[in-house]
Amino acid sequence: MTVTTTNIQFPTPQPISGWQRWRFRHRQALEAWIILIPVLLYYALFYIVPVLLNVGLSFTRWNGITGFPAWIGVNNYLQYTRGGYPTIILNTALFAVSALLIQTTVAFFIAVLLNQKVFGRGLYRALWYVPTLTSAAIMAQVAVIFISPFDGVLNSILTSLGRDPVIWTVEGNWMRAFIVAFTIWRGIGSPVVLFLAALQGIHQELYEAAMVDGANAWAMLRRITIPLLRPMILFVFVTGIIGGFQIFEAVLLISKGGPQNMTNVMLLQIYNDAFVNTNMGVASAGAVVMALILLWFSLTGMRLMQAGRVEGE
Amino acid sequence: MARMSRLDRIAIQLILIVGSVIMAYPLLFGVLASLSTLESYNNSTWIPIPNPLTFENYAVLFTRQSNILLWVVNTLLRIGWYVLVPGTIAVLCGYVFTRLTFRGRDTVFLLLLTSMMVPGIVYYVPTYVMVARWPLVGGNDMWGQGGSGFINLWPAMLLPGLVNVFYIFLMRQTFYSIPKDFEEAARVDGANTPQVLWNVYLPMLKPAITVMVIFQFVAIWNDYLWPLVVAGGNDDIWPIALGFQRIMLSGASFKGSRGGSITDYPFAFTMATVATLPTVLLFLFLQRYFVEGVQGFALKG
Repeated sequence: MTVTTTNIQFPTPQPISGWQRWRFRHRQALEAWIILIPVLLYYALFYIVPVLLNVGLSFTRWNGITGFPAWIGVNNYLQYTRGGYPTIILNTALFAVSALLIQTTVAFFIAVLLNQKVFGRGLYRALWYVPTLTSAAIMAQVAVIFISPFDGVLNSILTSLGRDPVIWTVEGNWMRAFIVAFTIWRGIGSPVVLFLAALQGIHQELYEAAMVDGANAWAMLRRITIPLLRPMILFVFVTGIIGGFQIFEAVLLISKGGPQNMTNVMLLQIYNDAFVNTNMGVASAGAVVMALILLWFSLTGMRLMQAGRVEGE
Repeated sequence: MARMSRLDRIAIQLILIVGSVIMAYPLLFGVLASLSTLESYNNSTWIPIPNPLTFENYAVLFTRQSNILLWVVNTLLRIGWYVLVPGTIAVLCGYVFTRLTFRGRDTVFLLLLTSMMVPGIVYYVPTYVMVARWPLVGGNDMWGQGGSGFINLWPAMLLPGLVNVFYIFLMRQTFYSIPKDFEEAARVDGANTPQVLWNVYLPMLKPAITVMVIFQFVAIWNDYLWPLVVAGGNDDIWPIALGFQRIMLSGASFKGSRGGSITDYPFAFTMATVATLPTVLLFLFLQRYFVEGVQGFALKG
């Protein structure tokens, strides 16, 4: 290609002021900070300040309404070792772990079955996910109708089967089981969708090759599916335990923590300490305890995922 | 696992049907109960049979409970706010963190990311205190004493959660997947940054924005705890989840909505159905985006 010199009329250069030159040179930084400064101010006020405030309040006694917080050292944390508090932590762990184990196992097998290109797969997937979209508060209030002792649905079914009705508000272990079931019902949709997505990422050739070698379905599940899904299983476990510890509406509205504290959980106690007993200090200490427990879970989870990644390479 | 005998297929279908029936039972029960008269509801055991089929419950709900339309409007206003503001911030920040080079970019992004490690409960008590002790509003003096701040007022329902780090993360990932050529071409044609964002990127961000909108819709539509804490005393600004839960709880106020003396369960189930239907319909129409969104949440791990 030859460069032909034509007589283009170049515009006479305008004198550029120092400000224009500066603005041109720093356009990117300028635009970035115009957006980021308000974002960071908001972030400081609604993310950083609350965390610091929470930690600070956890060392004080204050009703949150009048006057100012009074320093009382670690007393609020000691509170968590006394009275009903250790039971509350144990209850929370019990709910989180049992719901998680059942939910993950069932979700895994449902996803494996749905992955078999069964008839009506889309409909099934939708059905398993829909409870996740419901309001926990509204569904908890519906659950109250289901377990109402005298005119509730579950008891009328039990009676029609010739069994004794269960008085859920008295029998703590039945109440525990019901709350776990409710939690699973509302929570199982996401792991089903996640497992199904991960399963669809596995190449069919692997199974075909295994079948040529004479592997049966169980062997393929154990040797191909589970190892390849390991990262997703780990992810579901970590997010599941973190979500499970934050169980709240179900307990607040279905059992109120009763009978005899048997279904009381950490979030409900924090809520009651803060807004019913107006003791901001103990509530803040509870939030810190909870944050530390969850932080431990997510750090352990990340370490395991990292280890899995290195192993896999 | 391609080869399966007929027996296997039947067994799989059977397991799936049983499982799905259990999952759908409470929802189906609620819908059928809402279409039943109190009498046919009380005569049922396993599942209410709407015989005769009636829409009276819905009519009563929307005509006699005057607050309901207000609560729907409140919820939709909140959804609009929590889609527009965090959405705009997320798109702008996504652009900033992928397309602009400036000193401190990675530090700022990391600073924002750290908040994802802090569980939500840590924010509840201090944010409540901040909102309640906000100086010079709601009868508070400049030290936040004496009044109730923003409690039971709209700002309490609209202030927290406007910078959503997860959505910023999502938008950043999406910007990374778009080649820079489009922007460069537009720049050559003389477009400035707002024009580039509006005309070039916004159309390409549509799928990610849809995911964001539907997840915000579900989250805010179902939001219960925060409105309960900061607006429990002012039913003029309640969202639907709180309002319906309260009516369902105090069976008293709908007892006798038709002059009956026993608790009107079909009416309670009508409220539950109305409160649940929008998110479920949204899901049925936009299922693809939900699946993408759930996978997006997994991606961050």
